[in-house]
Amino acid sequence: MRELWNLGWVGGLTAIGFLSVYTARQNEISSASLTYAGVFLAVFGLAHIGVRAGLPHADPWLMPLAALLCALGLTEIYRLSPTLARDQSVWVVIGLLGFLAMIFLVRDHRRLEPYTYLLATTAVGLLAVTMVVGTTVNGAKLWLRVGGVQVQPGEFAKLLLVVFLASYLREHREVLQMAHRRILGVGLPAARHLGPLALMAGVSLGVLGIMNDLGTALLLFGIYLAMIYVATGRHLYTVLGLGLFAAGSWAVYHGVAHVHERFQVWIDPWAHPHTSGYQVIQSIEAIADGGVFGTGLGRSLQVLNHGQTIIPAVQTDGIYAAWADETGLAGAAGLLLIYLLFCYRGFKIAAIAGDGFSKLLACGLTFAFGLQAFLIVGGIIRLIPLTGITLPFVSYGGSSIVSNFMMLALLLMVSNRAVERA
Amino acid sequence: MVEQLLLALKVAFVVLLYLFVWRVIRVASRDIAVGQESMVLTPAKRPAALATPPPRRRGRLVVVQSPELPEGTEIDMSRELVAGRDAALDIPLGADGYASGRHARFAHGQDGDVVEDLRSTNGTFVNGDRVSGRRVLQSGDVVTIGQTQLEYRAGG
Repeated sequence: MRELWNLGWVGGLTAIGFLSVYTARQNEISSASLTYAGVFLAVFGLAHIGVRAGLPHADPWLMPLAALLCALGLTEIYRLSPTLARDQSVWVVIGLLGFLAMIFLVRDHRRLEPYTYLLATTAVGLLAVTMVVGTTVNGAKLWLRVGGVQVQPGEFAKLLLVVFLASYLREHREVLQMAHRRILGVGLPAARHLGPLALMAGVSLGVLGIMNDLGTALLLFGIYLAMIYVATGRHLYTVLGLGLFAAGSWAVYHGVAHVHERFQVWIDPWAHPHTSGYQVIQSIEAIADGGVFGTGLGRSLQVLNHGQTIIPAVQTDGIYAAWADETGLAGAAGLLLIYLLFCYRGFKIAAIAGDGFSKLLACGLTFAFGLQAFLIVGGIIRLIPLTGITLPFVSYGGSSIVSNFMMLALLLMVSNRAVERA
Repeated sequence: MVEQLLLALKVAFVVLLYLFVWRVIRVASRDIAVGQESMVLTPAKRPAALATPPPRRRGRLVVVQSPELPEGTEIDMSRELVAGRDAALDIPLGADGYASGRHARFAHGQDGDVVEDLRSTNGTFVNGDRVSGRRVLQSGDVVTIGQTQLEYRAGG
């Protein structure tokens, strides 16, 4: 009941957003845009019924928070290009179908636990196939063309790797905690137990080196470090991991041209304002233009008369900048708060979950979600080098939407089980 | 007309967005008041040789923080103690809205002093881990019952 009421709030926000964009675009007042909000609410209402039927004890906040992120994303994408918004709404519907399929076919996340190595192999396989036969877009080889539709296997590999790590670490955490031998007063586990984990680090580096995808590489490595810490409670791995990361970054900075350029742009985008630095500079300008309360939805100068946008890839990488331009500091902070609350619910689920696998899974999924949002928003505001990954649930992109809804389904399964047990 | 509508929508959007955020935060604030379990898995049991030997004498409880008992109050564990909101108990926590009527029992077990959760609603926690059944206390452990925190000090 609470979930439905929360979804009502989201519906209200969607209605206001769409009405505002529509009015600003057509310069007339019409109720046509309200139908969009109505359809949106109806679709999520059906998903709500599905969740309550399949997982009666699931957390009542996560789905509305995800729906709100989706709504904000759709509103902004609709503002940028109605054609893209139509595609995106189809993807949201497909994502929700995937979400319901997961809930009804898997039912209990613990049924995934025995498939440790199958999951890892599938994830690595997906990435490997992309490396070999993938399509290159904007210098990064991330795409697979399947019958006219482009999918981004990295998004699904992320999901599979979280489940793999949860299952693997649950089983092996004792040996990772025990000191096999001591070096400089620090207890280290036996080398053979570190094998599969070293593989995981190798996968991240492979993604970076071969696919040129800095974002996914950082994301996978971050998830891996966070989950090891959750499994063992030892800071040693975090310190070791960050040390490895620093060494790896140095090597990659000098070895990979693509990364070198990204880094230079981060340090000084104004060195080449019309070429490599253009995207970052325009994003920052857009955020500055928004001020405290923004230009208003649908009223920024992000879209030129003939439909071209000022920020390159604004519907994916730059969506945060466009949002900040139109809703200002207030709207942008609100968006970040929603991510924060989503993570809070996720970590709370991890805290109340009864068994190690559930805890690890909930932590891993939530962390993946939070880190991804941090990497892209941090990139756009030039806090860290810009990496081309999506803002979860908000950015335009089918693979991202579908995989995020599947992750949400898993989180809800963990929460359902945890509350049922209590 | 269009201008005014857009302004109204802009204001309504921000207000509604923050009201929604506030609704979630209000729920979160309730969580903070009670003891939390950790999301980090607890370290595996230390090998027997490293574990501290069980104390010979019974310990005592020191109040770290409580809405009912004054801070620093020492409670001797010379006998079995029951903590809860009932006034007739050994450790009465009437002012602690998050404690159950009969919340937890402190007793002397085979391996030393133990705390036992009496199926309380909000749970009993030792250093942030929820106790299921009973648990042996080590000197320095902090036991959380509702909003009350008691530090266990072994007898010497």
